[in-house]
Amino acid sequence: MFKFKELSKPTQLCVAWLGLMMFFALFGPFLPIENWTFVYEDDLGVTPFSPGHILGTDNNGYDLLSSVISGTRMSVFIAVTAVGLGGLIGSALGITAAFVRGKVDLVLSTAFNVGLAIPNLVLALALVSVLATNVDMTEVVPIWRRVVVLVISLTIVLIPILGRIARGATLTWSGREFVTAARSMGMRDMQIIRKHIVPNVLPALIAVAFLAFGVVIIAEASLSLLGVGIPDGGSWGGMIARGRNDLEYSPHVLYIPVIFLAITVISTNQIGEVLRGRLDGRESKV
Amino acid sequence: MSSLLSIKNMSVNFDTPRGSLEAVRGVDIEIPAGMSVGVVGESGSGKTVMCRAAMGLLQGSTVNRTGTVIFDGNELTAMSKEQVRELFGSGMAMIFQDPLTALNPVRRIGAQVSEGLRIRLGMSKSDAMARSKELLELVRIPNAAAVLKSFPYQLSGGMRQRVMIAIAIACNPKLLFADEPTTALDVTVQAQILQLLRELREDLKMSMVLVTHDLGVVAGNTDYVAVMYAGEVVEYAPTKKLFADMRMPYTEALLDSIPRVDHKSGTRLSVIAGRLPDPTNRPAGCGFAPRCKYAQDKCTTDHPELKTDPDGHIYRCWFPIGEAL
Repeated sequence: MFKFKELSKPTQLCVAWLGLMMFFALFGPFLPIENWTFVYEDDLGVTPFSPGHILGTDNNGYDLLSSVISGTRMSVFIAVTAVGLGGLIGSALGITAAFVRGKVDLVLSTAFNVGLAIPNLVLALALVSVLATNVDMTEVVPIWRRVVVLVISLTIVLIPILGRIARGATLTWSGREFVTAARSMGMRDMQIIRKHIVPNVLPALIAVAFLAFGVVIIAEASLSLLGVGIPDGGSWGGMIARGRNDLEYSPHVLYIPVIFLAITVISTNQIGEVLRGRLDGRESKV
Repeated sequence: MSSLLSIKNMSVNFDTPRGSLEAVRGVDIEIPAGMSVGVVGESGSGKTVMCRAAMGLLQGSTVNRTGTVIFDGNELTAMSKEQVRELFGSGMAMIFQDPLTALNPVRRIGAQVSEGLRIRLGMSKSDAMARSKELLELVRIPNAAAVLKSFPYQLSGGMRQRVMIAIAIACNPKLLFADEPTTALDVTVQAQILQLLRELREDLKMSMVLVTHDLGVVAGNTDYVAVMYAGEVVEYAPTKKLFADMRMPYTEALLDSIPRVDHKSGTRLSVIAGRLPDPTNRPAGCGFAPRCKYAQDKCTTDHPELKTDPDGHIYRCWFPIGEAL
């Protein structure tokens, strides 16, 4: 359906970039480079394109290429999981609401609207700061717990966004004649949803999921920057948080994760837009 | 002669913001087994709603259906949704008005035709596909194997309507509702589709309810005709008798409004002045009275009751044609 060659040049670049990011996320640890926690004591604050350190190092001697690759792993993992879970739960709720209508729809739509009314970041911030802190402040919160809480809170943020898209799409499709036709053949509601509604709703959801992916990456980075996300440069946000301390002497420590993050978000947005355009085109053809 | 489907005093109301909309009211009709019954009427006279309500396809909290529907000895109105569903496909099936919207745009034809077979008859995937191919051949689709793999948008309107017919007859229904099956098609294709339906009906021994607003289609394809007006069946008779000896002024007016070859050129086509009464606010008397050239005072005050002639000709009029005033 989507041939790579038929895409415009900028879109091809976006796809390629996302492919590279996926490669880093999946195979980062197997690349022949030092672990990002390795400290190059002789190369502190080296600028990019130096021999041995293509993206330079920061003032503590961490290699930035290694850091950014490992940060990709964390950021992409969090974003993919949150979008996946949010999409799954959100679309299940949205499709149910639109298909059943009545009171169920009223309750779910209201819940979606309440969720949407709270600013994303504030909601995530509240959830993370409640769930990922210990009563005893001196006890260190393990990183896996931070990640789990971050994923959960971003999922909760995404559910109403994707849920509303699914609900809207289901409303238009479930009113179509072919749903009545399927019913007149004796299909059960679940079968109708699975075979007739989901295949039609899915494209719209995928397009929005790409856009949501960008939102989540930024949200994760913002939370990390605020100190409630992944600490100590474990993700792009964490790297930005650490880099801002040295902005005066080695600005590249801040810029490199920011550039990675920006290009990734631009890419997901671009691909999301292209997908949406394509799907609208197909709908008009039908 | 036993009746396959009998609808007794069925009314359908929709709750709307403007109040209750009475789309169908007090319909009594018997569909005899093995026969083809035409349902004619203007747009908005309740033809489609009647068919869907009879099958129980109208969904939602705003729909109120009253009355009794008995199909093949089963009282549908007293059965649960699941029990009624068991009759869909193999008992009753429906062909929809617009083949463009009645097929799912993102699924292949094969999947959509074989679906009913797998659900209703429990066929395996490969058996259902093989049978689907036979069905497509039965409805005269050339190159059936290729069509099975195509998407609806790749087919023409006539082809899509044939696919719809194949889906409807897949499980060998006893009664087929054809809801304006030719409205969205051009005249030559219309003739082919009607021919096909006629042949299939004879081969498969189906009864058929053919909804249309084309009296020409009714004349050539049906054994009985029900004329609907403002949600009511106002006349019901064998087709030949209806055309030769109609009792209802509305039917007469309908027939007069058909262009005829023997009309002198230059004469204006007669039309029925006025329009259907507002379904949220039905008049007290006969719904057709304001447009009826025979209307008397009684027509505007009292709602006419159903009358049955000794020969079974049913009509709803105080002053039927052919009766001494």
